[in-house]
Amino acid sequence: MAASSAQLRLAAEPEHDIAPDLNDLLVRVGRGDEVAFAALYDALGSAVFGLARRVIRDPSRAEEVSQEVFIQVWQSAARFDPAKGNAKSWLLTLAHRRAVDVIRHDQAATNRENKYDWSSGPDFDEVEETVTISLEHEQVKRCLDGLTELQREAVNLAYYQGYTYAEVATALDANTATIKTRMRDGIVRLRDCMGVEA
Amino acid sequence: MTVDLHSLMAPYALDALDRDERTRFESHLDQCVDCQVELDGFVATAVRLGDAVNQTPPAALRARLLSEITRTPQERPVVTALAQRRGLRRTLPRLAVAAAFIIGAVGTGGFVVERQNAAEEHDQNVAISSVLGADDVASEAKTFSTGGSVKLYSSASADSAVIIAKRLPSPGKGKVYQVWMINKSGPTSQGTFETGGQMIMRGVAGADRVAVTVEPEGGSTQPTTAPVATIAV
Repeated sequence: MAASSAQLRLAAEPEHDIAPDLNDLLVRVGRGDEVAFAALYDALGSAVFGLARRVIRDPSRAEEVSQEVFIQVWQSAARFDPAKGNAKSWLLTLAHRRAVDVIRHDQAATNRENKYDWSSGPDFDEVEETVTISLEHEQVKRCLDGLTELQREAVNLAYYQGYTYAEVATALDANTATIKTRMRDGIVRLRDCMGVEA
Repeated sequence: MTVDLHSLMAPYALDALDRDERTRFESHLDQCVDCQVELDGFVATAVRLGDAVNQTPPAALRARLLSEITRTPQERPVVTALAQRRGLRRTLPRLAVAAAFIIGAVGTGGFVVERQNAAEEHDQNVAISSVLGADDVASEAKTFSTGGSVKLYSSASADSAVIIAKRLPSPGKGKVYQVWMINKSGPTSQGTFETGGQMIMRGVAGADRVAVTVEPEGGSTQPTTAPVATIAV
């Protein structure tokens, strides 16, 4: 039984007002409530699609991944436990992992040299034009700006481009221990900057 | 605790591990209570990064999904299935026959959450880490409707297995869960616990499964109830 390794670990994130409603929707989805599913999609569809699009780039592939993620949510919503996580974390964690798996799989099939031909800085600014600007986004951007160059690059390449830390190390010409440390320092600083409680 | 695995927490939260490392890290997490709190913060941070790049999906996606779910079956909540109960009835007579062979080992395995001192606990944690980090570690799990689970990690090279029980339903007043290793000569008690704990079992070479039963406080010398979980080694 492979259930254990597939199990996602979730943030018990004390969230703003909207969280209980989303949790409630997801619980209802687990009981086969199609109306709740539509409402959940309306609330989180842009978050899931935006993240898939950011990681995968190709819009039609990102759409496929978003579809897979929501179908998976429909199938496995009964496993969601609102006491242990929140719906948005659950969906975005699923979506990110799926997007990363897809981009790695797709890129393994193409010339891997292209993948390492990464030389310019992270293009968060370029993407910004096409995303919905929200208060949260401004805060995230400000917090990312507060990282050191290497921390920011490590977090960007890993989270937004689906690189493994070993690939990040190759791309940035650093050793893997350094990259792991930079990722840790970076995420700690982001956590504190964004006021994430956990 | 394994320093190397611990350093993977940030890469794990960013999904920057390959599949093998991801699996191994998740095994590590199961026996690292301290890790979970920090990891929750890291994952919540990553979720913020994800949420910051939202973008309106194509309108057709919504319609397609709403149509597709009408044809897609859902997983049902996990309950103790009837099929399993039937399986356990078949197991029980064998357990009873084997009872004569049981040695008085109740509690010697000792779940770390109970009565061990810090040094022993540390040694046990090191031993547990070595099993979870073994190259040939395999895992099996049983999940309960409460969201709790019993997982068994076994490694032939270490000739050991680790059982980790989390958030099981209360066994009832005056009752405990008891772990049994079952081989050809019958079940051997490995220790008792209340609703969760972890422990290492040595010499798993001849064992074919591990069972968990509900027993009176202090444990029994032989299983007296149908197992709530039976996991193949």
